[in-house]
Amino acid sequence: MRLGGSDPHTLAGAYAMDAVPEPDRSRFERHLAGCDSCRQEVRGLREATAALAAATEVRPPAGLRDAVLRTAGQTRQLPPAAAPVPAAWAAARDQRRPWWRPRPVVAVAVALACVLAVVAVAAGVATYGMQGRLDQTQGRDHAVAAVLSASDAKMMSAPVTTGGTATVVMSHHERALVFTAADLHVLPAGESYELWLIGPAGTRPAGMIDASSRARMVGPMVVSGLAAGDSVGMTVEPDGGSPRPTSPPVLLINLR
Amino acid sequence: MTEGQHRSRGEPGRRPGRGPGPGGQARPGRGADELGALLTRVARGDQDAYAAVYDRTAGQVLGLVRTVVRDPAQSEEVMQEVLLDVWRSASRFDAELGSAAAWVMTLAHRRAVDRVRSEQKAAEREMRVASSGVAYDEVAEAVEARLDRERVRRCLGSLTELQRESVTLAYYGGYTYREVARLLGVAVGTVKTRMRDGLIRLRDCLGVDL
Repeated sequence: MRLGGSDPHTLAGAYAMDAVPEPDRSRFERHLAGCDSCRQEVRGLREATAALAAATEVRPPAGLRDAVLRTAGQTRQLPPAAAPVPAAWAAARDQRRPWWRPRPVVAVAVALACVLAVVAVAAGVATYGMQGRLDQTQGRDHAVAAVLSASDAKMMSAPVTTGGTATVVMSHHERALVFTAADLHVLPAGESYELWLIGPAGTRPAGMIDASSRARMVGPMVVSGLAAGDSVGMTVEPDGGSPRPTSPPVLLINLR
Repeated sequence: MTEGQHRSRGEPGRRPGRGPGPGGQARPGRGADELGALLTRVARGDQDAYAAVYDRTAGQVLGLVRTVVRDPAQSEEVMQEVLLDVWRSASRFDAELGSAAAWVMTLAHRRAVDRVRSEQKAAEREMRVASSGVAYDEVAEAVEARLDRERVRRCLGSLTELQRESVTLAYYGGYTYREVARLLGVAVGTVKTRMRDGLIRLRDCLGVDL
């Protein structure tokens, strides 16, 4: 799916029901950050889902109460979010980082620029258009920066069998990787590249790549949910993606 | 991070301290001031307030998690994680951004969905989606057994069939919108629209307080 190609507002319902997996979710959240009416709508739809939840009420086993209260008494609480407003919802997804923080500080942007440049050079991409690319990444830079600046960040590059080069920077600590690719073979209409995380935790779809444009470089895309022993793979799938790979991988990078 | 009682869009005539009544949490927004105020106290480490939050939310959290996760033992685990999330991150609740009930249920749904989308469970589900072995009926049946709130049932019934199926599979089934599209054999774009239209209709039917 390409948000750019359709009205992103239509994702509000799916988003309110946690039915939007990465990377679409990050894209939609970037859209939300700049769209008051969308945030308002999502808020209203969430209230509706809360009613759906309430309707399922059961009586919890009595023993759980004491266990939970006891554990809570021994658990340190998070301080209020540093960011003013929508960070409140961030707790719902990420205990460590508000997902809606204002633009990161300059230092992060500079670090990001440096590492992105390294990634780009490693991928054999000329530095042309780097500024423009950085501008594009403004929305996801926070997540990208978190991976790139992780203490255990590791970069790997591999050729794509059908043409082009893929580069990933991964962090097991952040349980995420940043994916970029250059000079991918342009696919015919109706087909897209899909990323997968493959490992003991199963084969999980990790996002669609929009390689239809003439841009030489795709990404950076943030893939979250990285588990121990994972490899990242890429296959060619029908537009919209498949729940499981339906063709042999054109790229496989072991992330150990 | 404002306190719960400074809600700019508070419901008229509703004041903190006015109880929601037994089992009165069915309606989102009802008792919101109270649950929000409790969360504010929880954020300061008030364990009595936390016990009260537990009593008000645990049944709904467990009900929702069971509907999505199915496995009883795993559901209890997830339910405990959710309630601990509430304790840990109470300071992140902001009444300006929605009701306290919606905040808690968002935590619960995310956790439940994370659980079914991780592990081999996800692989199994993918297999079933791929073979369309999972019918809407299966999720609907599990939901039906739990849906004991007349109003929600009635409002769900007011949706078109496709809206209802899309919302049910996504929210109660924990499927992504792409999976839902496959399960129902309709275009991804159609499913996105139906989910949004369905929730909007549901919101309006339920008269959700905003």
